[in-house]
Amino acid sequence: MVKTHPVASGIPALDNVLGSLRLGDNVVWQVDRLENYHLVARPFVKQALGEARKVVYLRFATHQRILPPCPGLLTIELDPRPGFDPFSSQVNKVIEGQGSGVFYVFDSLSHLVGEWATDELLANFFQVTCPFLHELDTVAYFALKRGHHSHSAVARIRDTSQVVIDLYHVYSKLYIHPIKVWDRYSSQMFLPHLYSEGKLTPLFQSGDASSILISASKSPLKVKADSIAPWDSVYRKLAQYAPEELEKLSDSVEIQALRQELTQMLIGAHAQLRDLAERYLSIKDLLAIRNRLIGSGRIGGKAAGMLIARRILLEEDGKFDFSKVLEEHDSFFVGSDVFFTFLVNNDLFRLRLRLTRNSRISHEEFHEVEDRFLAGRFPDEIMEQFRDLLDYFGQAPIIIRSSSLLEDSFGNAFAGKYRSEFCANQGSPEERMEVLLRAAKLIYASAVNPDALAYRRQRGLGESDEQMAILIQRVSGTLYRHYFFPPMAGVAFSYNLYRWTDRIDPGQGMIRLVMGLGTRAVNRLGRDYPRLIAASHPGLRPEMGAKVAFYSQQQMDLLDLAKNEFRSLPVMEVACNNDYPGIRFFLSELKDGYLRDMEGEDPADLKNPVLTFNRLISQTDFVEIIKELLSKLQNAYGYTVDTEFTAFVGEKGEIRINLVQCRPLRLPGMTASTAIPESIPSERILFRAKRAIPGGVIRNIRYILYIDPISYAKNATIDEKRMMGRAVGTINRHTEVAQHRIMMMGPGRWGSSNINLGVNVTYSDINNTSVLVELAREENGHMPDVSYGTHFFLDLVESNIIYLPVHPDESETDFNHDFFTKSPNHLDLLLPDAEGLKNFIKLIDVPFVTGGATAQVIAEARNGSAICYLGFKSDPWEIKDGSEAINHSTVQDILKFRYVR
Amino acid sequence: MSDNGNNPFKIAQKQINDCADILKLDQSTREALLRPMRELHVTFPVHMDDGTTRMFQGFRVQYNDAKGPAKGGIRFHPDETIDTVRALAAWMTWKVALLDLPLGGGKGGVICNPKELSIHELERISRAYIKAIAPFIGPEKDVPAPDVYTNPQIMAWMMDEYSSMLGKNQFGVMTGKPLSLGGSPGRGDATARGGLYTLREAARKIGLELNKATVAIQGYGNAGSYAASLAESMFGAKIVAVCDSKGAVCCRAGLSSQTIAKQKQSTSSVLNCQGSECISQDALLEMDVDVLVLAALEGILTGKNAERVKAKVIVELANGPTTPEADEILYKKGVHVIPDFLCNAGGVTVSYFEMVQNASMYYWDEKEVHERLDKRMTRAYHEVFDMSEKHHINMRKAAYAVAVSRVVEAMKTRGWV
Repeated sequence: MVKTHPVASGIPALDNVLGSLRLGDNVVWQVDRLENYHLVARPFVKQALGEARKVVYLRFATHQRILPPCPGLLTIELDPRPGFDPFSSQVNKVIEGQGSGVFYVFDSLSHLVGEWATDELLANFFQVTCPFLHELDTVAYFALKRGHHSHSAVARIRDTSQVVIDLYHVYSKLYIHPIKVWDRYSSQMFLPHLYSEGKLTPLFQSGDASSILISASKSPLKVKADSIAPWDSVYRKLAQYAPEELEKLSDSVEIQALRQELTQMLIGAHAQLRDLAERYLSIKDLLAIRNRLIGSGRIGGKAAGMLIARRILLEEDGKFDFSKVLEEHDSFFVGSDVFFTFLVNNDLFRLRLRLTRNSRISHEEFHEVEDRFLAGRFPDEIMEQFRDLLDYFGQAPIIIRSSSLLEDSFGNAFAGKYRSEFCANQGSPEERMEVLLRAAKLIYASAVNPDALAYRRQRGLGESDEQMAILIQRVSGTLYRHYFFPPMAGVAFSYNLYRWTDRIDPGQGMIRLVMGLGTRAVNRLGRDYPRLIAASHPGLRPEMGAKVAFYSQQQMDLLDLAKNEFRSLPVMEVACNNDYPGIRFFLSELKDGYLRDMEGEDPADLKNPVLTFNRLISQTDFVEIIKELLSKLQNAYGYTVDTEFTAFVGEKGEIRINLVQCRPLRLPGMTASTAIPESIPSERILFRAKRAIPGGVIRNIRYILYIDPISYAKNATIDEKRMMGRAVGTINRHTEVAQHRIMMMGPGRWGSSNINLGVNVTYSDINNTSVLVELAREENGHMPDVSYGTHFFLDLVESNIIYLPVHPDESETDFNHDFFTKSPNHLDLLLPDAEGLKNFIKLIDVPFVTGGATAQVIAEARNGSAICYLGFKSDPWEIKDGSEAINHSTVQDILKFRYVR
Repeated sequence: MSDNGNNPFKIAQKQINDCADILKLDQSTREALLRPMRELHVTFPVHMDDGTTRMFQGFRVQYNDAKGPAKGGIRFHPDETIDTVRALAAWMTWKVALLDLPLGGGKGGVICNPKELSIHELERISRAYIKAIAPFIGPEKDVPAPDVYTNPQIMAWMMDEYSSMLGKNQFGVMTGKPLSLGGSPGRGDATARGGLYTLREAARKIGLELNKATVAIQGYGNAGSYAASLAESMFGAKIVAVCDSKGAVCCRAGLSSQTIAKQKQSTSSVLNCQGSECISQDALLEMDVDVLVLAALEGILTGKNAERVKAKVIVELANGPTTPEADEILYKKGVHVIPDFLCNAGGVTVSYFEMVQNASMYYWDEKEVHERLDKRMTRAYHEVFDMSEKHHINMRKAAYAVAVSRVVEAMKTRGWV
């Protein structure tokens, strides 16, 4: 068998003791000093090169080279600083690229702990790398510093490797002591051997052996070994101080240094977030996090954002005293290392790596992935901590939220990409544990869901360090009957992108408010609308009269403790009694064709109650508090922010806020000075729009995918509508689209959960489009609904996809119906099997149709007006960026559009 | 507004001229009808929430009050123009005359965008406007009502402002007020109900049995939804098709108005109503039905599709759903059209009832309102029908002829012309 093929180590005596190395061996040398590693690695390489083997030296540590450069030796330098995930991925790629039968020498693995802070990740790295090397029949040398790593990490390394050998000096003599030699045995193999003049002499004599071993091992119980992992050592150092001492010494150099180190370990290395943490989180805050940390590692962007934002609000001066406004949070954090341990222990790491590299996974395939995650198990010590957590919360409802390292960080919101799970948390401890574990595993699985992978690829984050921490929080809310929910929840943005009138000052922000759990505020639901509040003019709303009732919230999300589940119920079914606290601040009544705010009536008596929050807005400080909250956070972050909150209103109108999330919101195009040229000939204009978001210029759009809104509404069956959503996704992923730009146009609300209201897609189905156009047909003063503030909308904003609501029936839109209806359909080009959809979906190859022109979109950020027109680079008004020039034609040529003929 | 063909006042003037030709009116009478009698242009300041003060512009036009105090709505619209207000005031004159109400025609408007105004700003604008036009209006001079982007609440503010200026309650200065402040019962479904009374009379004329009739309803807003439920409850007619902006559905076996209403409420569309199949909106207009109710937008039946209409009666609850070309085609085909300003006059008639009740300080119940509305609509229908027969003209022209001749008679009797 190939696996038993002997391999020479370059030290014949060692081959003799071990019964020789074999192809597939991962050899771990536990050394007391690095020079000892030289003594075994160099002969190994020399021997291998002499046998014309391919030898690769993986160089990643800052210590001296283990192997000097020599002919035939390939040195590959890698950088472990970006973190465990990208480093493991790089190594995996190298191994894959080099193929089978290669010999490797790695720098000291102990160096990695210095970079990654925990032994857990070191063991994880080893555990994902070695099986792959073993499969490829390689022989690899690794070194670990003896006695510097935790027992559990060393145990895992030992379990994974084939050969583990201690190599140490005692009394100036060098000893080699095989600890594990897989599938080989001799009566002397596991004795310490004196290594001298090329010979290995076993120590039979018990006295010698004892004295050697006692000197060589500081402690036989490795559980107590001193780990060199910064995580443990920093914490140990801090633990030496009493709390009051820490307070007193907080400005001392030593405590400051420890604080910085702890910040980096808990929050991460992202410069802006770390700076904020260093500025606002005290050593006490950090230790409080540590005390509620399950496992080790970082707490992730979402948790960090929440904690930092709370601290900003409490520390910065303003009109409101936030210590009286902010509710306490009650959170636990599952450290990011636990994620990798889970992956590694359950044989999921390589699955994740494969999916990360190739994000073409369907939603159906993802369900199978979820099943594999659900079958995984957590380590015993984590399970213990989960039990403690559940004991702590008792039967209070909790929410399990993703908090990945990249999530909610600067520039990468991952809004809604990863999972959050509410747990009503009722039932026996075992049942509650089962629900908690299921939620945690589903959150881990969501790290590889198609939308998240598409988002990562789109943003060039494919292989960056993405560790999934988890935030477990007590659900903010109150019990009413057997329902648990917060009176109000919502999202608030410090910049208002939804400006339907110039009176609104976008810089003062916007609030999207719902009654009940905030899930309704962030998702795009069918016929259900949160209250949109422009912070600068809270009394304004874009609807009038009875339309206000139509554009209001009908259903609310809550936890039904009797049924032990998350539910959506009609608002009036839940809160129809006057005994619901503060209901008078929320309800109005539509009567005689106009709205009047509730005036002490029993809600059950109202014939047409409408959730408007009118009295909350006009009679309490709610809007002013949120305005100040947004302003403080934006100032501290130096960025526009996006927050999620729950809120409570007392009988006298006093407001309490629980800030559950804060993240910087990237708004592309806000600073670019774009202006719509006035000289575009009218026959070139495809359409105009008024509320474009964000601003920007997209040139050279080759394809237009056009879904006819009338045939979609009138003629398409539900099945055809579903097929259209899938077809859009397929086109979106087509290589042609990746190379050339596409604009997608279709009816109503893209991404709505109600298929009749708009094209049935998710983010990953449209992420390659440059422009998304929602075609809204006017209906008796109907205000076309847009998705401002939802996750779907945020995805568009963040991905630099220009979003345009267009009203084809309005004359000022200048909608070129002929172009869209008469242009030939090239759907076959990208979707040969979609004959049945050609009546609904049209793919327009713009240069083909126009004789060389492409579609151009210019959107002015400041006022939201936009234009889409046919243009050439030679056009006098075009900005000459020169980067994407296409075939030039004369201005006259374009007047002879083929579709007209 | 420029002098192009889309100027609504130019259109209104052309209609008057056409009608004057039928009635063979002399030049001076024609001249008197072609212009509004009085116009008031006002500019008034309003304090905004942000501390600034903005000037707003408003109008009130009394087109003709020969038959009584002017009656007509107040519009709050950013694109308001004096010519739109003039045209609408002229049309109000004919509508109230057609119903033989003792009223003239008026209209008003403020150039503003309510979508950009808070409720408090809206109140201040309403009060400031009424203060500015107060000398021009009154229960015996000109009685405004709600219109585009104004509602009962706004009427209440305006009435309150006017009352405080006069130092006494003047409920009768506005109609369309909330029920709690002198509004009339029966207003909610007045337009649809009035239209269905005229349908009932039309059916009698052409020998259509409404309890066996099939009905298609184009548009399912306020008027359309009431029309569906009333057609069922008043006549036992069968609704076989309905549509809204998102599409149309049909069911030959009949759709219950309750089912449609539930579907609309839960999905915001009539699509996928239980037991129905989707059809196109055009197909709905061309269905083989007895009654086609047009309750959505203007310009639905045109020269292009009128020929394919198979309905026996067309009920125009919307304003201007049939173009003049379509009118001629339908007339020639023998399709009986109940023209918009007759068919949808139920609203203004109940407004008139509100004035009467305010003046007498005695309020009727809903049943009484329905009975009186029925009488008015029935009588008006027959007068138009008779005029149509007499002059061999379509119902729309006949309606104009009835209305204009009534105004002319009043002007002559008063010695104005």
